[in-house]
Amino acid sequence: MYALIIDDSRAMRSILRRIVTDLGFETLEAADGQEALDHLNAGRIPTLCLIDWNMPVMDGYTFITNVRANPEWRDITLMMVTTESEHGQIVRALAAGAHEYVIKPFTPDAIADKLELLGLVAKAVPA
Amino acid sequence: MTTMLEPSMTDVEMVVTEVWSSFLGDSDPLLIGPPATLDVGWSSAVTVSGEWHGMISVELPTGTAEEITRRMLMVDATPDEDVADAVGELVNMIGGGVKSLMPGPSALSLPVVAAGRVARPSDVVEVCRFDATWAGAPLVVSVHVQNSHH
Repeated sequence: MYALIIDDSRAMRSILRRIVTDLGFETLEAADGQEALDHLNAGRIPTLCLIDWNMPVMDGYTFITNVRANPEWRDITLMMVTTESEHGQIVRALAAGAHEYVIKPFTPDAIADKLELLGLVAKAVPA
Repeated sequence: MTTMLEPSMTDVEMVVTEVWSSFLGDSDPLLIGPPATLDVGWSSAVTVSGEWHGMISVELPTGTAEEITRRMLMVDATPDEDVADAVGELVNMIGGGVKSLMPGPSALSLPVVAAGRVARPSDVVEVCRFDATWAGAPLVVSVHVQNSHH
């Protein structure tokens, strides 16, 4: 499984990469929505996209609308990971086709919990 | 119409502490105040525009900015490009947290980062200042609003 991490911050991409790698994903990265679309158009189709909202060139919301406009990409799970926490923006992102929404700052467990809910990682069983 | 509100010190402290512990761990806790003389090596700022207007900034000594970069990126070397990136993401998260405390809707800018102090518009006034010590060095988080709105 591939996760495409879309964030203009290299530090944030690094943090997310460590989290999803620990959960069993291989990763691709993009610094903005357009770079992420370039991956998809080149045939690099991930299982999961982790998407920041505020980025130069193309923001995360526009990326989501572009992905959802292409039926060939309907199986991609889209998860916003952003500092934007206004209710209206969350509703807007979900209405545009995001499956989940995580607000920064987050913990690794918060990401894992969301991915469990989405059925992308196995639920942890207490020892 | 803009709203002339300012975040409480307690709320800003809560936001900063949460960002710090989430991304830099609890091994070096963020210790609150007192105000100290700060040799600003790096700073970053974001602005919030909309129902509430404000500017949130972080000022750090060079060594602290580099240590933050090492911990966020898990690297040893800290070229300026990486420091700018890490310090920018830090203020992005803090700014997003402060924005969530204030009336919306509003938009958060992309971070501006400077080696030294980020330039502030002449018409802003500091309404909230959070002094802290982390890993033995002081840092400052502050919130400014436009003077005409204060």
